[in-house]
Amino acid sequence: MIATYAPLFMLLFFAAFLASVFYVAATFLGGQKKPNPGKQAPFECGSESSGGRHLKLSVKFYLTAILFVVFDIEAVFVYPWAIHFRALGWLGLAEMLGFLAVLVVALVYVWRKGALEWET
Amino acid sequence: MTATLLLATIVKILIMVMFVLNLAAILTWADRRQSSMIQDRVGPNRAVIKIFGKELRLAGLLHPLADGLKFFTKEDFMPPNADRLLFTLAPIMAMGMVFTLVATIPFGDTICLHQFRLFPDFWHVHTGPHGELLDGVERWGTCAADSRNGYAPLELVVAPLGVGILYVFAMSGQGIIGAAIAGWSSDNKFSLMGALRAASQMVSYEVTLGMSLVGAMMIYGTVRLDDMVRWQQEHAWGIFVQPLAFFLFFAAAVAENKRIPFDLPEAESELVSGYFTEYAGMKFGMFYFAEYAEVVTGSMLLVTIFLGGWALPFFHRDGLLVQFGDTTLLRVAIPHVFVTLLGVLAFFGKVIVVCWIQVFVRWSLPRFRYDQLMKLGWRLLLPASLANILVTGVVWLAVDKAGSAASDGLRIAADVTQAVVAMAMTYLIGRGVVGMFGTVTHERNIIGTSAGIAARRGGTKTEPMQA
Amino acid sequence: MVALGTIYFWVCALTAVAGALSVVVSKNPIRGAMGLLLLILSVAGLFLALHAQFLAAIQLIVYAGAIVVLFLFVIMLLGPAASTPNDRRGLFARAFGGGLAALCGAAAIALVASAGLAAKHPFPLADVDPSFGGVDAFGSALFADALVPFEVSGALLMVAVVGALAVARGRQGVASLTRSEREVARAATPEPDTAGGAGVYSHEIHAHEEHSS
Repeated sequence: MIATYAPLFMLLFFAAFLASVFYVAATFLGGQKKPNPGKQAPFECGSESSGGRHLKLSVKFYLTAILFVVFDIEAVFVYPWAIHFRALGWLGLAEMLGFLAVLVVALVYVWRKGALEWET
Repeated sequence: MTATLLLATIVKILIMVMFVLNLAAILTWADRRQSSMIQDRVGPNRAVIKIFGKELRLAGLLHPLADGLKFFTKEDFMPPNADRLLFTLAPIMAMGMVFTLVATIPFGDTICLHQFRLFPDFWHVHTGPHGELLDGVERWGTCAADSRNGYAPLELVVAPLGVGILYVFAMSGQGIIGAAIAGWSSDNKFSLMGALRAASQMVSYEVTLGMSLVGAMMIYGTVRLDDMVRWQQEHAWGIFVQPLAFFLFFAAAVAENKRIPFDLPEAESELVSGYFTEYAGMKFGMFYFAEYAEVVTGSMLLVTIFLGGWALPFFHRDGLLVQFGDTTLLRVAIPHVFVTLLGVLAFFGKVIVVCWIQVFVRWSLPRFRYDQLMKLGWRLLLPASLANILVTGVVWLAVDKAGSAASDGLRIAADVTQAVVAMAMTYLIGRGVVGMFGTVTHERNIIGTSAGIAARRGGTKTEPMQA
Repeated sequence: MVALGTIYFWVCALTAVAGALSVVVSKNPIRGAMGLLLLILSVAGLFLALHAQFLAAIQLIVYAGAIVVLFLFVIMLLGPAASTPNDRRGLFARAFGGGLAALCGAAAIALVASAGLAAKHPFPLADVDPSFGGVDAFGSALFADALVPFEVSGALLMVAVVGALAVARGRQGVASLTRSEREVARAATPEPDTAGGAGVYSHEIHAHEEHSS
């Protein structure tokens, strides 16, 4: 059964193998390690790092991620519909438009609330 | 799994992966060479190889090689506070992911191999019961018509999965995770900011990437990439039936690759080098390389879905058939194997052209601001792709209802687009060949250069700058 | 001679368990998220063994590509605050939750084991049609029999968006979102921007969220 997917797994293994070979080669062929305090400090274009180790980030990133999750799930529903679309006809189109409309409302809501405003 | 199938799979994997590897390496050169041409510079020309006392520079083609050597011999550096496991894992994920993308991308039509003969019967022309040419392999790429005669299909795709394009989406999602953990594990504020930006940008455009293809899926009626190409072969190329989706997909694909004009995650002037700031040597090289490899795989997808994949205009499974509606102008029988091999060449050629277009885009456009990027993704491209679904649905169903007159008209229109493509291809290839043999006239347009302006104003007072 | 499918099943199943364990045990939140990724990948592998290609692809698209990414976002936003607290707050609740989960797991194992022992062949799955589990089959099932749940799920997704916005806004109301980051940064940090050479977007680095966690 799983042998059907043998070519896929061969590719996956080959890809992982190739990337690992690059990484291992970089580790072993790499030049001598000469650490110094300047090199080990976080690289910020030569200037001293200021502030704490962590930075506080805008909560909008979180909203973007949530919107993405929602639209990703939506897309998963749309793909099977898309390939059956001619068989489902006008009724199917109406069903999908109803589904999409609900999500467009969500998008418009987020938009109007200003969560997609990144202007500074 | 028979030994033949195993061997065929290995060969197919090597063809695809080696193509991506080599084209990505050449693209690093092409990118720099093209930029130097656009900016009127000499470009990369320092790498030299001496053979029998003769210096070979090959227009800078040795630079990718030199870069690779240098990457490998650089100091292997890891920030002291880095998360060692994730820091190691990130470049492997980023690079390994790109090669897995090629699994479901077909690079040629299904070849019907004879089970008992090692080499295909080159001169065998498939004909129907009345001597007519058979056009189009049956669905799922089987050789149903020939299986009685001992023919077996050899699909020119690494893993013919039923989920097709969805597999590509599934795998490309892992790239986001690679970028995110690279930034997180580096213990650098710029890396973290770059990672967040990268992840945020990639998720925003992944939505458009997926939704823009829905229109194409509706028309092709499948998610399998090889069936999509077959539809285009029989009708019209995707760019003609889904022009808006083509542009949306192209923009989203460039944004997914994080290239200019969407290179905010690694904007040098803002974030040093983004999420891979702390990576050195080949570990940096792996991210760099993955980016170029993504350009190649993105181009492969674009070619497969919108530019006909391996299909050439008027070429059918067993020959050349120039047909407008029901009027047949030309019919030439060509053995299936030759048509297929020509298709393979066409596929790789188209991919190279699309990669080249991406290089042009990179050196022609300035970088977006972050707010513009987000606005473009969520407020313009996403609504446009949803509208595309609506319009495609209404038009397609209306055509279905309208009866045979409309579909006949569309049939002729589709054939006309094939003719347009054929003429455009012939012209471009002809121009290319003529250009190869023509003499190079190096016209410098100095009107726009500062040197020219200074010269027309009576020359500069300072000495010419020494390099 | 052990069948290839059996080996494959055990590899995937054990990887899944290892991933799940690392989610629960890991102190480092990002490593926990990576454990979740491992779990999801191996479950997708199990779906593939059942010929449920579409389900495997969705598993990767939605769970690995979206949910794990969402977790990574949240962990990156929270920073050190995302680590497991060392105090004993909510110990009872956690112990209770853990116990309940363990009980459910044991029950599930017992159920599957009894079914497997009762059957003559432990894995009584026949060969199926190649199109089974593909997008086609899924679509016809979804749009023929499961129309109402499908439409309702749209509403559920909308609720998720609205809820996320409410959570992100916190008690501050809309102001925290519409105010520019520069203003927020200025309000939060009295001293001028001194992030060395960060350039145009240095304020992003110092931008503080309005709400305190």
